[in-house]
Amino acid sequence: MNPTVLIADDEEAPRAQLQAALQRVWPEADIVAVCANGVDAWDAFLEHDPAVCFLDIRMPGLSGIDVAQRIGSRAAIVFVTAYGDHALAAFDAGAVDYVMKPVDDARLTQAVARARQRGLLPAAPIAGLADMLAELAAQVRRPAPLVVIQAGIGKEVRMIRTEDVVYFESDSRYTRVVYRADGSDGEALIRTPLKELLAQLDAQQFWQVHRSVIVSQRHIASAVRVDEGNMHLLLRGRSERLPVSRHFQGLFKGQ
Amino acid sequence: MNHQKIDWSQLWQPGPTRVFSDAELARAGDQRPSRTLLTMVMINMALVSMAVMQAAPPRATALLTGILAAAAFASLRLGQRLWRKPSRRLLTVCTVALVLGCGVVAALARLRNGDAEVRQWALYTCWGVALLASFGFWFLAVYRADQIAARLRELDERERAIEMARQLAAAQIQPHFLFNSLASLQHWVEAKDDRAAPMLAALTGFLRTTLPLFNQTRLRLGDEAQAVRQYFEVMRLRLGERLSYRIAIEPAAAEVQVPPGLLLTLAENAIEHGVQASLAGGPVLLSAGVAAGRLTVDMLDPGAGPAADAGEGVGLVNSRTRLMQAFGPSATITVSAVPGGGGLARIECPAPTTTTQP
Repeated sequence: MNPTVLIADDEEAPRAQLQAALQRVWPEADIVAVCANGVDAWDAFLEHDPAVCFLDIRMPGLSGIDVAQRIGSRAAIVFVTAYGDHALAAFDAGAVDYVMKPVDDARLTQAVARARQRGLLPAAPIAGLADMLAELAAQVRRPAPLVVIQAGIGKEVRMIRTEDVVYFESDSRYTRVVYRADGSDGEALIRTPLKELLAQLDAQQFWQVHRSVIVSQRHIASAVRVDEGNMHLLLRGRSERLPVSRHFQGLFKGQ
Repeated sequence: MNHQKIDWSQLWQPGPTRVFSDAELARAGDQRPSRTLLTMVMINMALVSMAVMQAAPPRATALLTGILAAAAFASLRLGQRLWRKPSRRLLTVCTVALVLGCGVVAALARLRNGDAEVRQWALYTCWGVALLASFGFWFLAVYRADQIAARLRELDERERAIEMARQLAAAQIQPHFLFNSLASLQHWVEAKDDRAAPMLAALTGFLRTTLPLFNQTRLRLGDEAQAVRQYFEVMRLRLGERLSYRIAIEPAAAEVQVPPGLLLTLAENAIEHGVQASLAGGPVLLSAGVAAGRLTVDMLDPGAGPAADAGEGVGLVNSRTRLMQAFGPSATITVSAVPGGGGLARIECPAPTTTTQP
């Protein structure tokens, strides 16, 4: 099977340039996703599970650092950045690989060789990677988390406080918001895609457990392993079960 | 320091209150006493000695010469130490040491000498020396502490100025911007894309208008707006439909002289935090007008405005400092969120009337 690759850059030309250069220096690679922002990159990672991710650092929605933090050691990360980026100093410390824009073939070949080498090893956490990413993430300016969600229901716009939300679920073209306010349960559909919502929510309170499910951790009663690959969540005071996909099962490991 | 409050401790322990750390002394305390100062001290000492010798009976000369020479030697040595470290504690130590020394000498002279008049003269000379030297030490410590404090202030100010100049130089062309633009350009050249030529033209135009801007202390707002237009054009080519821009500068506003780099800083912030940070992007509007003798410049972007918890960036803080240096405290830069969406950065400052107006 050919190695799978994801590319993310918010500008079209550098994105296309990297793609063309990759095809030259690593023809057997299968570029499974080319994304224009961090939100799409994370969603595409969950969908395609690529072996190597080339991430631009400054991207809207989620930054390249944010996406790398979520991916952790599940794929080899190569940051793509321009000279003068404040993150360069951290990369020079050697925790991850990076290439500079405009990308040149020689340097890219080197990065590819390193990423492939890493792909042969069992997925072990890289020493210092998490710390370095956490430090970098702290430097990225991000908007305040969403406090209220405006859901249009007929002629009414319902104001749902995020703290009342139990979970969000992707529903083809919409996102279903399930909440509990003033002692009664409610549901609404909003147009904001789940992947965009993810970037606006407080990551401490809302956990993504599946590509199409984000749940408020306060409402999780327990996680139940069904068999080798499957897990689901039981919620407090509710009967439905939410699936936990393989990527997120590590969130529930007992102490 | 609160100058309204009386520091009563100066009564029993006079001297400079500021305590310099070793690092501060190493940084600002390395000057030697000036030759003028040393010469004046020497002359005064000689004059005082000669006056004493003139007044005293000749048989006391030998003893008084000894006392004065010893006192001069001791006070110069102690003064040297005070020069190196003008602290109130050292001043007290030096003064007490000198007064005690004079006391001991006076007591010895009294024991060893049978002549009442010579003993009297020795006693007076000792106390006179103690009084003069104490006063001299106090003056030296206060003078020297002020000198070091002033030197520290001067060094701080110079460092701030250098830092500002460095940041201004860095603000001219952000390497990040330049290399990202070159990355796009390289791809379009390789791919024979039609956008290569306009990109090269806009980037060249940007460099041509921007580089000379920073050699001036003031420039026409209209000239800087031209650099901003080139910058927006480069970014529009790079970002595609995520960015559209409009620049509307009234003729009167274009003639106002402002410090360089202000508009470019606001433009970069609008692009970086307002457009590139949002998934959809949107329009950016730069407008400037003059009303009632005041200039207002607005930079409107499609972002969320300043984050409530984040501090302001160095670019903005520096711009504000430079604006206030040029126009005084009535010049302001404010950033805010526009109700209904969008971020707004606004410069307001006096607009001196220019003679170039028709």
